[in-house]
Amino acid sequence: MNTTRRDLFKFVGGSVVGALFTPAPWRLITDSALWSENWPGIPRPARGEIRTKFTNCALCPAGCAVRARLVGDQPVALMGVSGHPLSHGTLCPFGLTAHHLPYLPTRLKQGPAKEAAEAVSAAIAKCGPSEQAAVLDLRPGRTASWTYRRAMASVKHGLYLAPPSPLGGSAAFDLQEAKTVLSFGAPLLDGWGTPGNVIAARENFRLIQAEPLESRTASLADLWLPIRPGSEEALAQAIANVLANREPVAPFAALTGLTEQQITSVAEELAHNGPALVLDGGQTPAAMELNRQLGSLGRTIVARRETPVPESWKKAAPVTNLASVPDGSIRVLLIDESAVDGYLSWSTIARKLVRDNPLVVTFAWSRQGYGRYAQFVLPTAVYPEVFDDIPPAIDSVAAAFRIAAPLVAPPAGMVNPSEFIAGLAGLPAADALRQRADAIHKAGRGTLFTYAGAKSAALRDVKPDNFWKALNEGGCWLDAVDEKRRELPILPDTEAPGATESSDEDLPLVAITCETRAAAAPLSPLMSKLYQESNLRLAANHAVLNPVTARACGVAEGARAILQTRCGSAQIEISLDSGVPPGVVKVAAGAGMIDLCGASTPAKVVAA
Amino acid sequence: MTSEKKPGKTARYGMTIDVDRCNGCGACMVACAVENNVPPAHEGATDRKGITWIRVFQVDNGEDYPNRRSAFVPVLCQQCGKDAPCVSVCPQQAVEVDPATGIVGQMPERCLGCRYCMVACPYHARYFNWWDPAWPAGMEKTLNPDVAPRMRGVVEKCNFCHGRWHAAKQLAAANGRAIEAVDYVPACVEACPTRAIQFGDLNRPESAPAQAAKNGASFRLLETIGTEPKIYYRSKKNWVRQISSAPKLGLGKESSRG
Repeated sequence: MNTTRRDLFKFVGGSVVGALFTPAPWRLITDSALWSENWPGIPRPARGEIRTKFTNCALCPAGCAVRARLVGDQPVALMGVSGHPLSHGTLCPFGLTAHHLPYLPTRLKQGPAKEAAEAVSAAIAKCGPSEQAAVLDLRPGRTASWTYRRAMASVKHGLYLAPPSPLGGSAAFDLQEAKTVLSFGAPLLDGWGTPGNVIAARENFRLIQAEPLESRTASLADLWLPIRPGSEEALAQAIANVLANREPVAPFAALTGLTEQQITSVAEELAHNGPALVLDGGQTPAAMELNRQLGSLGRTIVARRETPVPESWKKAAPVTNLASVPDGSIRVLLIDESAVDGYLSWSTIARKLVRDNPLVVTFAWSRQGYGRYAQFVLPTAVYPEVFDDIPPAIDSVAAAFRIAAPLVAPPAGMVNPSEFIAGLAGLPAADALRQRADAIHKAGRGTLFTYAGAKSAALRDVKPDNFWKALNEGGCWLDAVDEKRRELPILPDTEAPGATESSDEDLPLVAITCETRAAAAPLSPLMSKLYQESNLRLAANHAVLNPVTARACGVAEGARAILQTRCGSAQIEISLDSGVPPGVVKVAAGAGMIDLCGASTPAKVVAA
Repeated sequence: MTSEKKPGKTARYGMTIDVDRCNGCGACMVACAVENNVPPAHEGATDRKGITWIRVFQVDNGEDYPNRRSAFVPVLCQQCGKDAPCVSVCPQQAVEVDPATGIVGQMPERCLGCRYCMVACPYHARYFNWWDPAWPAGMEKTLNPDVAPRMRGVVEKCNFCHGRWHAAKQLAAANGRAIEAVDYVPACVEACPTRAIQFGDLNRPESAPAQAAKNGASFRLLETIGTEPKIYYRSKKNWVRQISSAPKLGLGKESSRG
């Protein structure tokens, strides 16, 4: 039989058709699909021994307990620790993604530490008699804070500065005791204090939220009072007048946009469903006066005992409120931005600097904060690389001592702010945490919470070395609650940062910043789920207007516009929402936006 | 489609979400992304092209200021218990219901990216990978070793953290017993700070979702279309409960995703 070309083609064609009825081509497709999932462009998760490690979150003073899941030595997930006496097993979205922070693309990798030290020493030497060298500590109460105070006591013209706090750092708000809480815009259910503690106490108190915008807290409050922007003090005064049976109430009610009946009803509820607690973002004198009238001082607002420190540390510089420093008096300013509780607008700080050539050095993870204005920006470790303690949160009635033990090693080139500043005064700073732990142990008060079975043990039953070991493994020391709760004095009125200026005709709107939690803290790239891939949180440089206001300003949904305030201008993208009050611009708080607007300021929006 | 069988002997995992407790913090969204190796947004990603297996929507009562009232509603794959539309339309059998758990699973290896399932899903709970997954340099070290990242061109969605379920099943087997409902919870449930999300086996009357199913304040999304979702929402507010029949979740996703 002769084989022709036709036979050959028939054979090949038949084979191809026949092969389609076998598993082979389909297997090939499947294998190709599997292979394509592992091609070099797609990362492959590392394999290794799965371990668990405990630490405490250092992103904010809540200091929530953290259970880290590690592959080898690399954390791959962070979760809360159930049964913890302070954080009650919760972790916020910022804390859940904190293991990504060492890999932020915007992170500083190196900085001129040696040149900065020389420049600081030279500038201190040049300080005039009325000029000062200051450290601004944005998270007072840490062991590092004591190092700064000790160093500033030794440095010529040294000054230790803390952000304004009318009640001082030892005031604590006891939500567990409160039956009615009136909040003037404090984000009580969105990151205020220790989130787990607030949530645990939430069912026991009635929440009245007074603020112009319906925030997350307002949406979950028992009563939301939609007051006019900037009328918080007027509302406090009106309630105070009702409580004291004083006149007038009507003029204040008109300022707030509420009726007299609403204000009277709130005042009666505060008076009759006590203990009451009045909160606001900055412990303003008006809110504190209301607390005094309601008898909250000593009941729901108490003085917390200081966490013990070694005796030798007590010869330290006093804590000076930034607001009380004379303008134009600081020649050298060192800002510890590595641990930030709240971002102060730069104008609040800048006015304290001397006019001719002040020296500003910041310790920060990036240039996004005060680094924009500083001569030297020195890179610092970020959580979870840091080895630092966390001061008690504002809602912690008992003193506490927790250490953020590092989960990963910091890269080379990072500067430790406390070692740098201690070096200026020739102080050793390396063992400060251990020394403080020993001082706490020596005091012998309180209990130690450890994660082995979520147990608490009396501190006096724990040996010093075991105490230190437990702290390094995420343990938490809690002081015994002082039964003789001391009433706090109300300090004199001081200038609050970002205070609302009087409205002018050329700035007819009021800009209100929200999402302040994210203003200064580093954010994981995965937070894009909240800011970019959904509209759950307002992204930076976005603003929301009422459609009526937008029409008056000549801007539309999605348009680019310019936001102008007395401090400058910025480009923003507009969204419209009829839930925003007319005349208000709701903006997301980045460091730049806080510099521009503070908490709230007169503003104008014009089309770009 | 593989249907669920023998409900008395197999699990039927479900959730209950208390809308009145949700503060919209977004912890569930990021915990889900961490657990399931969902990458950060690509530069060009928007709220319509992003990947959020669970997404918290802010809904409102439709009034203007000052009568506006809002609530936060987490929406994830509703794990349809009957005639899941995505299962029946998939030409690749890339979507299957696990008869042991009732979980509607997506197999990216089989997916050819036709997106029929996204069109079919009445809850818009499916997401397409418009870009290859990418993390900033070094951050790929933080990936969960139990879940493989998905490639560009395939659809993905919530699977009740199936990786966790497998790990729990293996652990239970190592201990010489079968997996039980309390052995695992999805990442969003573990992360929710207000405990608004609870997880359990609907076949067990004592579980939170089973209790929620009987609660008068509970509702399911688009209950009338007969897909028998296994996610029960709960709210005491009438206007929130009304979203069950006509969800107004704030976005017209149909034009880009479906």
